[in-house]
Amino acid sequence: MNSETLNTLDTYSKNKYKYGFVTDIDNEKSKKGLNEDTIRFISLKKNEPDWMLEWRLKSYSKWKKMKQPKWANLNFPEINYQDIYYYSAPKGFEKKPKNLSEVDPKLIETYNKLGIPLEEQKVLAGVAVDVVFDSVSVATTYKGELEKLGIIFCSIGEAIQKHPDLIKKYLGSVIPPGDHSFSALNSAVFTDGSFVYIPEGVKCPMELSTYFRINAENTGQFERTLIIADKGSYVSYLEGCTAPKRDDNQLHAANVELIALEDAEIKYSTVQNWYPGDEDGKGGIYNFVTKRGLCAGKNSKISWTQVETGSAITWKYPSCILKGDNSIGEFYSVAITNNFQQADTGTKMTHIGKNTKSKIISKGISLGKSQNTYRGEVSFLRKADKARNYTQCDSLLVGNQCGAHTVPYIDSKNNTAVIEHEASTSKINEDQLYYCRQRGLSHEEAVSLIVNGFCKQVLQELPMEFAVEAQKLVSISLEGSVG
Amino acid sequence: MNIQDNYLKNKRNIFFSENKDIQNHREKLINIFQNDRFDKKNNESLKNVNLKNFIDFNYKYLNPEETSVINNNKENSYSIVSVNGQCSSFKDDKIEIIKILDEDYNDFSKNNTIENNDHFVNLNSLFLNSGFKILIKKNNNIKIKISNIVTDDDLTIFQKNNFICEEGSSLNLIEEYENKNNSMSNILNVINLEKNSYLKHFLIQDNSPNHNLIITSHSSCKKDSSYTQKIYNFSEGYVRNFHYSELIETNSEVDLQGIFFLKDNNTSNNKTFVKHLAEDCKSNQVYKGILSDRSKATYFSNTYVDQVAQKTEGYQLSKGILLSDNASYFSKPELKIYADDVKCSHGSTIGPIDENAIFYLRSRGMSKIAATKILISSFINEELNSIDNEQMSEIIQKKLVRYLSKVK
Repeated sequence: MNSETLNTLDTYSKNKYKYGFVTDIDNEKSKKGLNEDTIRFISLKKNEPDWMLEWRLKSYSKWKKMKQPKWANLNFPEINYQDIYYYSAPKGFEKKPKNLSEVDPKLIETYNKLGIPLEEQKVLAGVAVDVVFDSVSVATTYKGELEKLGIIFCSIGEAIQKHPDLIKKYLGSVIPPGDHSFSALNSAVFTDGSFVYIPEGVKCPMELSTYFRINAENTGQFERTLIIADKGSYVSYLEGCTAPKRDDNQLHAANVELIALEDAEIKYSTVQNWYPGDEDGKGGIYNFVTKRGLCAGKNSKISWTQVETGSAITWKYPSCILKGDNSIGEFYSVAITNNFQQADTGTKMTHIGKNTKSKIISKGISLGKSQNTYRGEVSFLRKADKARNYTQCDSLLVGNQCGAHTVPYIDSKNNTAVIEHEASTSKINEDQLYYCRQRGLSHEEAVSLIVNGFCKQVLQELPMEFAVEAQKLVSISLEGSVG
Repeated sequence: MNIQDNYLKNKRNIFFSENKDIQNHREKLINIFQNDRFDKKNNESLKNVNLKNFIDFNYKYLNPEETSVINNNKENSYSIVSVNGQCSSFKDDKIEIIKILDEDYNDFSKNNTIENNDHFVNLNSLFLNSGFKILIKKNNNIKIKISNIVTDDDLTIFQKNNFICEEGSSLNLIEEYENKNNSMSNILNVINLEKNSYLKHFLIQDNSPNHNLIITSHSSCKKDSSYTQKIYNFSEGYVRNFHYSELIETNSEVDLQGIFFLKDNNTSNNKTFVKHLAEDCKSNQVYKGILSDRSKATYFSNTYVDQVAQKTEGYQLSKGILLSDNASYFSKPELKIYADDVKCSHGSTIGPIDENAIFYLRSRGMSKIAATKILISSFINEELNSIDNEQMSEIIQKKLVRYLSKVK
């Protein structure tokens, strides 16, 4: 590495996390620790019916018997589940505010800082937002307009009360609580999240969006999102995440379930920018997320797009179960790790139906002392005639103290299915860099340009609002680590 | 019978059971077995393996009656017959062949990094009953052909071989495994390449359905050395090919290639693992498989690049053709990279024979079977053409024709 690179590295390695502020709002918390009482407390606070509490308790008893999955290439101290608050709500939220004017102005201020289009901006951006602050869903904008189309977009807590039939039918149908220990944990203590139902034949006219934020100290956020797209419908859903700077590690274990019925399409985009810890690897979010979509009907489609730049630990595998014939699953991912971040992310495509197709594009960029792993599984079951998969995973290494790993699992049990997988790992091409510098770009700009080009294939899959933010985020994450 | 009882019962027939160090080491191995219990869930190398054959076996070993022969027919070429894993000693100014010694055992158990999670290697160490050591002396250019013969039914052979190429030497090694009886061979080849040496290693595997073959190799390459391995697996019985390679000094190279042809209920497990531990090294891993009927195969490939191993080039390719509905192929090409100035890639494909190609050939008047056969041959043509030994190439062609004649 030349001295210039080292200098830039130095300047920017203390890369500031600009969402690291804390909002000083009184919180109401449950007692620390996880036991049946905590779950009863959460259920009571959320005013849930008995069947829900039972479901939670059942999940909890499953969780007690389970061990944390160990196969990921991650290194972190054991999580003390008894040292976490499982419920934390800004005070005065037991009764939901009817409109935005009833919301604590400090909270609104927070969202303005984050640049969330909650008030005026919502009109401009045309985004309907469900904001989840720690454990409580604060406000859902644009509700009325969506209601006209029959679209249900509300917090999951509200859905449990208002649409119990849908919840009973679908909750846990894609990710059973007993799947692994994090799904059981989430099923037991989930506090809030979003619920979306798109009725038959409706194309949702705007992008639905949720913003998650962990504010209080020592709290875990366990959100649960459930999206159901009925026959012939379409929805695009965006998700963003931030958290304040804290010295402790905070736990985030979310479950996201998508169900696409016949001819339906769901597009799910995430920009994850949880607090990654400081340059010495202190603090940061432990992000253990289970995301799974079920293409239940014929010709259905689920598409995951993710930009992962935050979190101290990322453990995340948005997957598709391609059950309906002709269904399509897609996965586009950019994962950038810097400093001491560790990411083990990828996808799982399970082809069950005939003529099912899947496509995986994954770009990993490792900087500093981070470890970045792509782990993906593609499997063709016996009945998956003429199924097709294409996988491409590329990794870019910047600096010689980081690691980039690729661990694909490929399993074919059908002789008409075709699978292709390719991967490459390299550093930034010197010639490209030289070319850009010659045209007057600074070293930093050149690298940013090349990396943005490297990620283009994925970034262009993001909806407009996110694409801009994501591109900026990529540049910010890169700042300073260029070499 | 569990492994410990089996070991204690047959201890007398096993190599080096008097040696204290080795005894201690073996006790440790028994502990590993007892703690792990061949847990298939957490050890993917056991995927698709019918464990019963390998854990619950009756130990039986016969010392060969006939001493194995070594012919020095031409000046630099030797042919060796290894019977039940043993062969007679030989020495001239170019090579030296002796029985395996306890110091070799100790050397391996100290230096090896694969042992804890590879149970078959552990079984090999535990029940070791045969093996030899071949040393190629400095600056010699040698050809060796080894025929591995098992004499009786129900034998369990646990063999450790050690190949050493001294500085500047080169060895062209052909090993044949063609056994028709109902037995099991568990073989570990330890290969050490000194500076500037070269080893080209062919393995032809063609066993009958009741012979189980487990081959593991562990090669380490010093400066400017190169190791090439080519495996042709036509066996009708279970074969496990696991090959570990370490590039420990600069500018060394390793090339691991394999082709397997499976039919009926056969299973084959394959793994290649290359560790780049020094700068400027190259590695290449290519495996191709053709699976028909109800056969199953797994292929794990792994490239590890250490932080110091800059300027590494590491390539992997795996390709599989499934000819039947009931065949299955699992592949896991893994890259673990800790250095930035590297070029590493992998590619993996699994699928049927290209329908368009079949259509093209059929529209020219060929039957479907004939077209399929042509396309299978062309799938592995590259590997077959790269054999520079005419005699070998002929043998392999014949075996290929035999395999193709059974393709429906």
